[in-house]
Amino acid sequence: MGLNDRTLPGGGTSRASAGIFGAGTPTFLTTKVDFVVNWARRNSLWPMPFGTACCAIEMMAAAASNFDISRFGMERMSFSPRQADVLICAGRVPYKLAPVLRRIWDQMPQPKWSISMGACASSGGVFDTYTMVQGIDTIIPVDVYIPGCPPRPESLIYGLMMVQEKIRGERLAEHHINRAEDPAAAGRPRASEFEIQGLTGPFGNSTHQNRISGLVQTDRVDRPEDRLP
Amino acid sequence: MATRTVEFNVSRAPELGASGGLSQAPLLPIESPEPSLGSEHMLLNVGPQHPATHGVLRLVCELDGETVMKVIPHIGYLHSGFEKLGEYRSWNQIVPLTDRMDYLAPLIYNCAYVMSVEKLMGIEVTERCKVVRVILMELDRIFGHLLWLGTTAIDVGAFTPFLYAFQEREKIYKLHEALTGARITTSATRVGGMMADLPEGWAEACRRFVDELPRTVDEVEYLLTTNAIHLGRAQDIGVISAEDAINYGFTGPNLRASGVPYDIRKDRPYYDYETYDFEVPVGEHGDCYDRYLVRMDEIRQSIGIIKQALDRLPGGPINVEDPRISLPSKTDCMSDMESMIHHFKLITEGIHAPAGDSWLSVEASKGELGMYVVSDGGTKPVRWRVRPPSFVNISVLPKLAEGHLMSDLIMINASLDIVLGEIDR
Amino acid sequence: MADSPSSGPASGFDAVEAGLVAPDLPALRGEAATSSHPSVEALRARFGDAVLHHEICSGDQHVVYVEPSQNFEILSFLKDDESQHYEFLSDVTAVDFGGGHPIQVVYQLWSLVHKRQLRVKCELPLSGLKIRSVEPLWKTADWLEREVFDLFGVEFEGHPDLRRILMPDNYAEGHPLRKDFPLRGRFSRAEQTRRALSHNVEDFYISAEMEIGREPQVIPPASEGSAGAFEEER
Repeated sequence: MGLNDRTLPGGGTSRASAGIFGAGTPTFLTTKVDFVVNWARRNSLWPMPFGTACCAIEMMAAAASNFDISRFGMERMSFSPRQADVLICAGRVPYKLAPVLRRIWDQMPQPKWSISMGACASSGGVFDTYTMVQGIDTIIPVDVYIPGCPPRPESLIYGLMMVQEKIRGERLAEHHINRAEDPAAAGRPRASEFEIQGLTGPFGNSTHQNRISGLVQTDRVDRPEDRLP
Repeated sequence: MATRTVEFNVSRAPELGASGGLSQAPLLPIESPEPSLGSEHMLLNVGPQHPATHGVLRLVCELDGETVMKVIPHIGYLHSGFEKLGEYRSWNQIVPLTDRMDYLAPLIYNCAYVMSVEKLMGIEVTERCKVVRVILMELDRIFGHLLWLGTTAIDVGAFTPFLYAFQEREKIYKLHEALTGARITTSATRVGGMMADLPEGWAEACRRFVDELPRTVDEVEYLLTTNAIHLGRAQDIGVISAEDAINYGFTGPNLRASGVPYDIRKDRPYYDYETYDFEVPVGEHGDCYDRYLVRMDEIRQSIGIIKQALDRLPGGPINVEDPRISLPSKTDCMSDMESMIHHFKLITEGIHAPAGDSWLSVEASKGELGMYVVSDGGTKPVRWRVRPPSFVNISVLPKLAEGHLMSDLIMINASLDIVLGEIDR
Repeated sequence: MADSPSSGPASGFDAVEAGLVAPDLPALRGEAATSSHPSVEALRARFGDAVLHHEICSGDQHVVYVEPSQNFEILSFLKDDESQHYEFLSDVTAVDFGGGHPIQVVYQLWSLVHKRQLRVKCELPLSGLKIRSVEPLWKTADWLEREVFDLFGVEFEGHPDLRRILMPDNYAEGHPLRKDFPLRGRFSRAEQTRRALSHNVEDFYISAEMEIGREPQVIPPASEGSAGAFEEER
């Protein structure tokens, strides 16, 4: 620890003059390299369209002539995850499809970003049922959520632009943070059990209506060995 | 192991002969082993994430080279629990669920569902509502067929019809949005009527659309109908006979392409379809090309029906005034206790349907859509069953595709016009 | 046979098995029909007591309740007899009223020739959810009966390939459309997520499919076509 070393917030140290690629301190050259790399990445994002339901149709409409994501360099929809940059999960994801989604995400090479398009992908949407994943952020990490049922193509484009903004603010020096991916976590859910329970608990009265009248607890048979919240 | 003699008719490079001149010596015939039958087949998994499966459909294929020996479709990758969820929603709250099943032609599902509940309750909708629903159902038939056209063309390898089809679909999106506020998930109907009447200028916009549509359809037909590549890929592919089609449960354009003239609009007409002047195109070979021709013709017939319906669109109320379902007016509620209580009960509980069940079939763009509702007298159904046409259509895929090439499998899948939202529900 | 609710130690999901509802309550039916339907008359003439009840729903829809043990004979008569000729099976589904009442298996039939429809219902007590499959009559019933098995647990005897179709093959929470199955499932969301992702994707391949490609297969002769496809799936 010399006179010129400083402790950064959150730990770590920086050295004032550590060469042109100073660890932690932005320098002239790193900002220029960052700018070029980020510019190239955000203007040539190849989407991986993981389209399942109605949102997929709006994604197709965004790819068609009227809304045209080709303006953003995204017309080359990459159906192979190996060649894709941004995963657009458009539509509802049941638990049967969840391992497929996780596997597609794991197969995408870094750098990769993900967009959760629509209410069903973001939170389960209308479907708080026995089959539906209540938000794909329990399965894969999500960068941008686009609400809507389905979101208009303009909303999808806005979400894509938000991903572009996120990329614009990235720094190569933080590569180990941004591109961190634990190979042991492949195939496993992104969120812990505690987080999943917190994110997916029932809210409002829509799932507590029973079949006969208004606002009584769901008419089901309770058994002590049922593992329910 | 048998051997066969292979003769090459290609000569090697010329070489110098014994006399010093060039001589072209033919290659000597060689003995090569006979390829043995019953060689190992390959297991190929297509999907569930795949561009050509039109949704999350998984096809497990056993291939001998490129030939499909066996294909097993797996579904359920979009199962959302619609029918279970419908048991927890009141009769009108189910309408938004119906949009999300067949998201390619949502108005047909909206209409079919409330028609089945109206049949159960014995409600007769107004004349204006009938004609408006006919217009919307035919408009969405065109809507669904245009998407089928675009995606099938992409599967064959033609990208341009996709763009043309989506350009026309944008016009229908605008019509949807003007009527309901939403492009795809319209939820336009309610039991006894519609969410709202047609706005000002909607009928004229619709008429302009159907006047301009034939030009685009002609252009796409010019690109595809006599195209040698399309003919080669679609003719005699995926043939099914009429008897088999009926036994396997095919409906809609798939069944009519096999020569069976079964169209619910003609056989069990609803909403005065018997008074409209239209034809039902019927194919003869039962192959992919006939399905293509039948659907292209259906688009034109639907254009004709919409024009006739727009001509006869009557005035009058769009919603029926039935005390079981209609909310009393605000002035009545404010002045009259019974109206206030009636309004309160309709809002908090929902409408009540009498005990019994009702099955209603409608000719959707994909085939026979059956809606079966069972009620026990309450505000929510005991059972809401959707008989999706694509569910039964896709179950025939093994019969159609076995023996064909892998790329024909994709073409057959496209020609069936399936939508996974309604298959999996 | 594929996994059924009463297999293994994790059983007792059904309210009947857990002793929480009284099974075998009487059926729920409407009033008897006042007008006649030619097919119901023909059924009564031929099968007599097997026709339990005939009612009219929603104004003009005829529903006939038949003895479940004779469903195959009755439906085969309705399909093959010239004056009935219901060659098109629109739907096979089931209705669970809950509370111990029998589960109704519903067949919706349409005759293309006579332009008539008919609904045939068979009531199965919760203690005996077995009925004969009509897949040999109409191939449409193949997947439709698989769906009824998957969502209600009704076993169809004689079905060539009775396994789950909409839920995953290893789904352990039971049969979703039964009335005693809660809307959000029996397991907690965390448990459902863990189960969904803990299995290898290759586990979703059934064993018969994995055998393909491991040993030489015989290419079927061209004349046979694909008639054996449905039998070979298992």
